[in-house]
Amino acid sequence: MAVTLSFSPSTMKQYEWLLTRYPTRRAALLPTLRLAESEFGEIGVPEMRYVADLMEIPPAFVFGVVTFYTHYRRAGTGKYHIQVCSTLSCALRGSEDVVTRITERLGIVPGETTDCGLFSLSKVECLGSCDTAPMLQMNDDYHEDLSIDDVDQLIEQLRESAKGGSN
Amino acid sequence: MAFRKIFTQHIQKKTCHTMAFYKQHGGYEQAKAALSKRKKPDTLIDLVKASNLRGRGGAGFPTGVKWGFVPKTTDKPKYLVVNADESEPGTFKDRLIMEKNPHLLLEGILICCKAVGIETAYIYIRGEFVFATERLQKAIDEAYDAGFLGNNALGSGQRIDVTVHRGAGAYICGEETGMLTSLEGDRGNPKLKPPFPAIEGVFGCPTVVNNVETLANLPYILEIGADAYRAIGPENSPGPKLFCVSGHVENPGTFELPMGVPLRTLIDKHAGGVWKGRKLKAVIPGGSSAHVLTADECDVAMDIESLAAAGTMLGSAGVIVMDETTCMVDAMLNVMRFYHHESCGQCTPCREGTGWLAKITHRIAHGEGRMEDLDLIQDVCDRMVGKTICALADAAAFPAESIVKKFKSDFESAIQNGGSPAWKKRHPSVVGGAASHA
Amino acid sequence: MPDIKTPTTRWTLNGQEVENTSGMTILEAASEHGVEIPCFCYHPGLSIAGNCRICMVESNRSPKPVISCSERIADGLEIETESEVAVDARNSVMEFQLINHPLDCPVCDKSGECVLQDHSYSHGPDRSRFIEDKNIRHTKELGPTISIWGNRCIVCTRCTRFCDEISGTSELCIVERGDRSVVDVFPGIPIDNQLAGNTVDICPVGALISHDFKFEARVWNMERKDSICGGCSRGCNIEVETLDGFVKRLMPRENQDVNDWWMCDEGRYGWRHLYSDDRVLEARGPSGPLDSSRSITAFIEILDNSPRVAFLIDPFLTCEELHLVHALAASSSDSLVGGWLPEQGAAAEFPAGFKISADKHPNRNGAEQVFGHQVFGEDASHLQRALDDGSIETIVAFCGGPDPDGPGQEWSAALVKASTRILFSVLEGNWLDGAALVFPATAPLEKEGTWVSEDDRLQRTRSCWKPGETPFPGELVLLQSLQSALGTRSRSLSAAGIFRELSEVCAPFAGHNHSDIGSSGLLLSDRPAGVGAGGGA
Ligand SMILES: Cc1cc2nc3c(=O)[nH]c(=O)nc-3n(C[C@H](O)[C@H](O)[C@H](O)COP(=O)(O)O)c2cc1C
Ligand code: SF4
Ligand code: SF4
Ligand code: SF4
Ligand code: FES
Ligand code: FES
Repeated sequence: MAVTLSFSPSTMKQYEWLLTRYPTRRAALLPTLRLAESEFGEIGVPEMRYVADLMEIPPAFVFGVVTFYTHYRRAGTGKYHIQVCSTLSCALRGSEDVVTRITERLGIVPGETTDCGLFSLSKVECLGSCDTAPMLQMNDDYHEDLSIDDVDQLIEQLRESAKGGSN
Repeated sequence: MAFRKIFTQHIQKKTCHTMAFYKQHGGYEQAKAALSKRKKPDTLIDLVKASNLRGRGGAGFPTGVKWGFVPKTTDKPKYLVVNADESEPGTFKDRLIMEKNPHLLLEGILICCKAVGIETAYIYIRGEFVFATERLQKAIDEAYDAGFLGNNALGSGQRIDVTVHRGAGAYICGEETGMLTSLEGDRGNPKLKPPFPAIEGVFGCPTVVNNVETLANLPYILEIGADAYRAIGPENSPGPKLFCVSGHVENPGTFELPMGVPLRTLIDKHAGGVWKGRKLKAVIPGGSSAHVLTADECDVAMDIESLAAAGTMLGSAGVIVMDETTCMVDAMLNVMRFYHHESCGQCTPCREGTGWLAKITHRIAHGEGRMEDLDLIQDVCDRMVGKTICALADAAAFPAESIVKKFKSDFESAIQNGGSPAWKKRHPSVVGGAASHA
Repeated sequence: MPDIKTPTTRWTLNGQEVENTSGMTILEAASEHGVEIPCFCYHPGLSIAGNCRICMVESNRSPKPVISCSERIADGLEIETESEVAVDARNSVMEFQLINHPLDCPVCDKSGECVLQDHSYSHGPDRSRFIEDKNIRHTKELGPTISIWGNRCIVCTRCTRFCDEISGTSELCIVERGDRSVVDVFPGIPIDNQLAGNTVDICPVGALISHDFKFEARVWNMERKDSICGGCSRGCNIEVETLDGFVKRLMPRENQDVNDWWMCDEGRYGWRHLYSDDRVLEARGPSGPLDSSRSITAFIEILDNSPRVAFLIDPFLTCEELHLVHALAASSSDSLVGGWLPEQGAAAEFPAGFKISADKHPNRNGAEQVFGHQVFGEDASHLQRALDDGSIETIVAFCGGPDPDGPGQEWSAALVKASTRILFSVLEGNWLDGAALVFPATAPLEKEGTWVSEDDRLQRTRSCWKPGETPFPGELVLLQSLQSALGTRSRSLSAAGIFRELSEVCAPFAGHNHSDIGSSGLLLSDRPAGVGAGGGA
């Protein structure tokens, strides 16, 4: 890592606010990792190290914590992280078809990222939206009651906005 | 008395989540009364005890009794941790409250804090609920601005601070002590009990853990009184209740009904019946951790006692409906993969047992099953239940043992015919869980 | 038995009413009655994790089996450790523990002392019902001295708790969750603390492997002796494990008054020089090797012809060896004794109280008791001055330390001022050049006798050598042979016999003998009643 990471002043302010909300510093670890995630785009080794040093928490502890949870954006995740709920209620209503369709369209299977780095595909567990199954979470947003057409449209839309974003 | 919806009455309204709307509809009146200096905390606890309100998170523990365990005098701070982790498969009710009616939750929190003498509350919300988090945060900001929260909450002189704390993707953080460890910034490993959270919970201090929906009942209990509340549904587990129906129904959704609504009514009337004109095969009535019911067993009332009597549980009231085309081997594989993926891995029986169950089921679904596997599953379940730090091991074993017992023929057929129908069609429409096996 | 003042709890263990000090866990209390409940994650020196579940027992207070490592005894509690419920619970855990465990015993260093292996004989199912593929987890180096064999890890968290609670270094963590959980370090931050080796000891299985011991020996072939580490003045209690008289491994031995359950890596791995090619293994004179009797004759000849003999002792010599040096010095008139000390190291104290001393001398305290407190101070300066001004012709100097420089630059320079030098040394080195006689010296793990730690604790150190197969006569034997040849000793004694002589003449040791030192040592100040402060050195 050539560049040393550091929080911007406004993130640092949020971090300091966080510390005031808990009786222990360590309790602010999960939310601070969220700050790091949005500031740096992902939680990889340098980001964990930065947070550990900032919070004066042993890096190994942070490593153990980050790998326990599945929802931090791990290093190498594509710009659009498509997380298809694959738990029972969604599976009963065709989540596997959604996955298959995405695989067809993007050429990646769950756990993979497209070569262009744009898309990552994951199967995830129940997202608390079983009444709108099948559904997926794309980055922060829920896409619900999915048909195969919806999946196609979503991918197109993301491709478009990626183009727009790069201009 | 006609049934009145307390959670979902106004959710069609665009501004239902705002403080203005909430106050316009009588919001915060109960909290104001509760926090007035004249109100004794004990009378609030007694009222909640008398109401027979039981926890909506899964275990159904009487809320007032739980509050009563917290030491009255202690030199440690006390905490309220609101369980908004909502990760039990088939459950999506707390999200609705937080997105559409966040002030109802805040009012409940204020009442609980007054009753138990708590100054600091955390809402532990699952990390995936980004929109709900925003809504909650907005509501909290409004409440601070209005002086309802903060150093002098509602002018009571009592400090009440509420902080939203986002999880990061782990079902086990819905288990109350796993949630507390996670809130402390650690891996979400459940804690040994005793000590119980009421005595020694988060940060080593007395802690009340309550589910979102549980707390959201409080303003209503204060409004109508314990007797009237107890009259809603069965006396021992009364109240308005959010039922989540998902899976093979025409109209999946969250339905607010009195406790004790017949399961059939819930499915057929409210959720539009089994979809595509098909027949019912199986229902898991309380989130995927509950024992499964066959179609024949579905004449049961949706309340804590009736479902316990039927050998299952109300749990989180996540009703998952499966139609006649469902292969129960595939359904079980999906559920077992979930628990395997979500076990925190501390306790040997759960860490190893969840993986073993998933592997056996996987083998059966993929045509390599043996008849003796059915007894083996039963035995593995026996060896897991009641031997672990938290109830996740039980939660995995309950669906497993009941599905195998009650839908044996599906398993026999998969074993004899080279796998589940879906597997054979090379079209695993149900088998795909998030945790994959190499 | 608990005395009257400590509150006791009456409870029932396997149908027998028993009594224990209140507040104990079931596991600890049962052990006091000879009922050993198996455990993996429990370690008396660490916080309670309660995760392995092997210690489950049946309780009259709970519908489910309870874990005995965390549940405490209470009046009226009834515990069954061998009932169907208890045995079933244990067997369940055992089976779960084994399903993904590799069948590595034949190649695993832990084999023979593995808690899992032990239990699998007594509680395991005869035949595995698990026919699936076993899980794979990483095998990798965690640090310069330790690797993890992930497939063997049972995630008991003893090692991580050790690094959090005892060393306070927190390099280890559990990564991932469920049955993917395994011990790891942060990328780029290896486990490299002064106590790291203890994690290997406490790993109940062969998941943590010490590079130093990897494939060195099968543990059941090794012999074990209780001994004391010579690395510093703390005097950590250790077990020396040998194969055919050769040290293979040092392990800490529990002593709550000294080292709890731990030892430091410097002490643990600080024995390789015993087998160095530079080891002095036989006596020699200017014209070559001398056999034992000729070396004694030569020694006596020198003594007889020296008007004044001086002795330079080291802080590795045992009290018994020092007693012999003392006697020898006393027998020649006008003798001088001083002592040298190795350079100081860094002291360290760890969160749970474990200490490493800056003083790298296991028996400085003992030498001061035998010779008086000046021996490394004023006496040493006196000796140095006498050497410098050339008033000493003959000097006998000892170096039991690991340094080829012997007593160090300064002393070496002073020593050459004496024209006749008799030097005892563990390793070859420049300081031996020009010596009249060179004798092999025993190093700490080769000595039989006692040391006194910096806390005034008299402890027994034992030799790794096989009795009767000693590579050379150590100081204890040699010095007695000298006395015999001089006519001052009628029969040669063991270390215990010499200690008896010492205790008769040296007040601090009065009333003690080897057998009452026991396995955990005793404080010199705790003299048995009735023993006066008579005698003197
Ligand atoms: C494995 C497991 C997962 C759980 N998940 C949740 C959850 O997501 N939300 C919840 O409110 N309770 C959950 N619970 C129940 C909580 O442990 C606890 O009983 C509840 O939060 C208490 O609040 P209540 O009394 O208001 O229901 C779970 C329990 C277990 C054993
Ligand atoms: S039962 Fe499972 S989830 Fe619960 S603490 Fe034990 S290993 Fe973790
Ligand atoms: S490496 Fe050993 S001590 Fe550490 S958790 Fe694994 S089994 Fe336990
Ligand atoms: S602390 Fe001292 S006595 Fe203990 S092991 Fe280390 S060197 Fe040896
Ligand atoms: S099963 Fe997919 S959101 Fe619940
Ligand atoms: S020894 Fe008691 S749970 Fe591990």
